[in-house]
Amino acid sequence: MLAIEARGLRKTYGGGFSRGAGKEALAGLDLAISEGAAFGLIGLNGAGKTTFIKALLGVVRPSAGVVRVLGKDPEDPSARAKIGYLPERLFLPHAFTPVQFLASVARLKGISEADDEVRRQIGRVGLSGEEGRRIGGFSKGMRQRLGLAAALLGGPMLLVLDEPTDGVDPLGRAEIRRILAEERARGATLFLNSHLLSETERVCDRIGILSGGRLLREGPIEALCGSETRYRVRFAPPLDAAALEALGFRPGEGDGVFVVDAPDPTALNDLLDRARRTGARLVGLTHDVRDLEDVLAEALGQGGERGHA
Amino acid sequence: MKSFVVARDLLREAASRRWFLALGLGITLGLVVIGLSLRMDVVDGALAATRFFGKSVNTQIRAADLALRPVFVASSYLIFYGGLLFGVVACADFGPSLLAPGRIEHLLSLPVRRFELIVGTFLGVLALALLGALYGAGGLVLIFGVKTGVYSGRLIVSALLASVTFSAIYGAMLTVAIAARSAALSAASGGALVLLGIVAGERERISEFFDPGISRTIFRGITLFLPRVSSLARSAGEIAGAQPVDSAALTSLLLGLVVFGLAALSLGIHLFERKDF
Repeated sequence: MLAIEARGLRKTYGGGFSRGAGKEALAGLDLAISEGAAFGLIGLNGAGKTTFIKALLGVVRPSAGVVRVLGKDPEDPSARAKIGYLPERLFLPHAFTPVQFLASVARLKGISEADDEVRRQIGRVGLSGEEGRRIGGFSKGMRQRLGLAAALLGGPMLLVLDEPTDGVDPLGRAEIRRILAEERARGATLFLNSHLLSETERVCDRIGILSGGRLLREGPIEALCGSETRYRVRFAPPLDAAALEALGFRPGEGDGVFVVDAPDPTALNDLLDRARRTGARLVGLTHDVRDLEDVLAEALGQGGERGHA
Repeated sequence: MKSFVVARDLLREAASRRWFLALGLGITLGLVVIGLSLRMDVVDGALAATRFFGKSVNTQIRAADLALRPVFVASSYLIFYGGLLFGVVACADFGPSLLAPGRIEHLLSLPVRRFELIVGTFLGVLALALLGALYGAGGLVLIFGVKTGVYSGRLIVSALLASVTFSAIYGAMLTVAIAARSAALSAASGGALVLLGIVAGERERISEFFDPGISRTIFRGITLFLPRVSSLARSAGEIAGAQPVDSAALTSLLLGLVVFGLAALSLGIHLFERKDF
């Protein structure tokens, strides 16, 4: 079953008789995420990421198209009961203690006998010992942890996390990654929106690049960034390009650059030996893996600009 | 019902706000001062002497319950108008606070229906108004009861009427807050409704000042839909002072108040259901 499904999703803010056409935040978005996946949505500010998340939660109503979460309409409370959400800037009541806040969230989630679950999640996010303190005195990182605990309450099947590691120290980030890995192992689907591309890369196995309310690219992280079994090789001229292509070498960017797939070192060396037999002379060999920043820049058509920067 | 969870959280939040801490402290201080500084000598059910801060207050010797009536009437007006004004100022922020960025998205992501959030906020403020009125009026009744032996629940009924009046006005304030997300506009609408409600309560007399015709019709038309604040305050005073109350007129006033409050709340829920956050 699909955890998230969006078809032709459009959202236009404002507009009307006196205000013109309005601002199109989502422009026909199509996306399908299977249950158990870890999906990261990336894009520049104003790309429509937050609007899409809000549409998933029923916080904004689409202007057109269909969105379904865990097979149901997001407006259906029984669907939202299985979702854990961490907003980018969670407003926390200053006068509450973490226990009071989480107990309130648990009641609204319909979790009965929630005391043990509240204590468990507080411990899990590393806030043990802070149960009696008022949230007003918490640091940004502590608030973020508490927000994550609220999202985790009740073992949701879909976790929608908007900048989950924002304001969290490096060790805290590692802890959060561990928690997210545990949740995934439990069977939960992760939907992550983060500006920290390295975090997204480490947590997610699928990536979507959003721009102007449209999904520019989407797929497994290996497909977008390259993979550990794909190599970039450079041969010194002269070379027989046709012969190399016949061996499985595909032309890459740059003079004498080719890309080739090899499942293991033996296969790679075998391919290189056969290439040398065509007269090609190897001068460079690297894994063909790009980081998400490069992929994002390329998708947004800014690869050239970044190269000159 | 999830609305009660929202209402309970609102009460907890209110307990930490300075406005409400000051109200609780003020009421408590007032009751303590009255309790400690007021001395009333009752002989055979008649109030023989009264001393306030040790100074004799000139009173005729008369039945204690009769002697207390003006005090209860004055207290009733104080609770009614004081409570309305305090409520308008102190509760104006609850609506915008519910809709604060980062909070409303989180609440709407939970398995709660949208109307439950609004109803919960309304119920929380209603409970707050009832608690404040009951504490103040109940405290006065208790103090005068202990000092004179006259225990009358009329002041409490009068205070409940003030709470219900405020709740109807708060329904409109909440609707304004939903539409504009502004505490200032919410408070301004509450203040305007109190003033217009005072005018509406006197609409029969005031309409005489307008020339018969379109201006009088417009005035009567506008004030027709407003809660009759001054009439309700007068009725509350009459109840507290054990004066005869026109029950048919009071029932009509209360029905009008309930219709106004529910209509305002329904409009607020309608706006909230359609709104994106």
